[in-house]
Amino acid sequence: MTDPISLLGYRFFQYALLGGSVAALVCALIGLFVILRKESMIGDGVAHISFGGIALGLFLGVNPLLTALVVAILGVLAIGYMRRHGLAQSDSAIAVMLAVGFSTGLILISLAGGFNVDLFSFLFGSILTISTFDLTVIAGLSLVSLIVVGVFYKELLSITFDEEASRLMGVPVGLLSNVFNVLVAVTIVLSIKVVGMILVAALLVLPGLTALQLGMSFRDSVVAAILFGIVSVVVGVFASAVFNVAASGVIIFTLVAFFLGVAAWRRVA
Amino acid sequence: MEKKPVIEVEGVSVSRSGTRVIEGANFTVLQGEFVGVVGPNGGGKTTLIKATLGLLPRDSGAVRLFGQPVEQFNNWKRIAYVGQDAVNFDQTFPLSVRELVSLGRIQKENLGHRLTGDDWRRVDEILGFMGIRDLAEKRIGQLSGGQKQRVFVAKAMVREPDILFLDEPVAGVDAETQERFYMKLSNLNAQRGTTIIDVSHDLSAVFCRMSRVICVNREVNVADIGDEMGFTKALKKAYGEHFHFVFHEHMCEGLFEDDRPD
Repeated sequence: MTDPISLLGYRFFQYALLGGSVAALVCALIGLFVILRKESMIGDGVAHISFGGIALGLFLGVNPLLTALVVAILGVLAIGYMRRHGLAQSDSAIAVMLAVGFSTGLILISLAGGFNVDLFSFLFGSILTISTFDLTVIAGLSLVSLIVVGVFYKELLSITFDEEASRLMGVPVGLLSNVFNVLVAVTIVLSIKVVGMILVAALLVLPGLTALQLGMSFRDSVVAAILFGIVSVVVGVFASAVFNVAASGVIIFTLVAFFLGVAAWRRVA
Repeated sequence: MEKKPVIEVEGVSVSRSGTRVIEGANFTVLQGEFVGVVGPNGGGKTTLIKATLGLLPRDSGAVRLFGQPVEQFNNWKRIAYVGQDAVNFDQTFPLSVRELVSLGRIQKENLGHRLTGDDWRRVDEILGFMGIRDLAEKRIGQLSGGQKQRVFVAKAMVREPDILFLDEPVAGVDAETQERFYMKLSNLNAQRGTTIIDVSHDLSAVFCRMSRVICVNREVNVADIGDEMGFTKALKKAYGEHFHFVFHEHMCEGLFEDDRPD
């Protein structure tokens, strides 16, 4: 069995821990808002939309994370447009864009020569192969997300709690909702390398759902959600390297264990 | 000193889902007034308030807030509104009372900025004024009905508005809590000069505490509380000819005593 401590000396392992923790931090923060806005499905929707972007990147020979970012942002803006103009209700708009993104992706993948290792790393995550470029993308996008949430923290909290009251207070609700949806797209894309497209929605909502069960203030819930996310990533990365199992699976499995554990504790306490 | 009109509603008609709900409403509210809005369920009270605030479109007529047409009005920090369904929030929402009330300090001028020390001082001050300082760190979902009402009024009041709109703030709350709540409102009106528009089912609270009443049942009639005949006539128009509001001299006794500690 590999010595876990000696792993810390390897660059790939440091990148995995660093990139995974940063992604978990942003996912937990954005995910808490997503849950409270009752839009948990948007994570899954954007992940599937970004599949089209990943396929486009593989097809064009461009870094798939960059094309996924562009396609995901266009996707959430389209969802917002459809809702505002009554083309489709909240969930239906997500379903339509999910179908557009995923079906386009399938066509492009088949044109590009079918499924390959690259594609599987985006579908199921490949945290131990995070490159310097990937880490730079993850860190850069995370920094942008954290700055935007930091600057508009009270306004985002206000529109999440009560849109009508916020509008009366002079908060630009429509603009901030769009900005927030773009942040969701950014968060999903920066986390794809960590847990993969299929499980990324779980990394977005499980830390927040677990923290919400603790019945704390918003600020404390944010801290708890971030801790649940980061601890799960650390457990997943070590387990992956030591026991040679899929990191993304262990990360999400740990989050599920936290969720069920807290739920059981709440019932007993 | 002559009091200025802060709300002017002229010939306002409003329809919802193709049905006329408000027909030709005319009234003016002066600075510092404490006005009740009464009427039967479904009579259009909430519609009238929302149309006055520009939250619902009008079929016709004009609304001016502080002399400015509501469409052009942008000084929203002068106005605070507590909607009927404010307390029907997601009970698991992770906000403490202090966090929620602090959101009331958001205004156009501080978008994208952190709340200042002065903002937080005012939050704590209003928590004290509303008698809910001991609830500051409690989660809003854990509060009783009466406590929630006071928290939402605190969130509205922390804006230091000139006009406070309340839509059935004590619906479903026990009589004693209602009485304490109205004492707070009377204090706000008397001590801070806040103009209060209160949609209420409680006619005795309106009669004892407010200066005028707006009776709404599609048609809108306004009466001074002191004018017993006019008041009765307006109520009959809203509730029907068979309606009798029996006023007893002792009804308001003791209501204006100094505030009791919570």
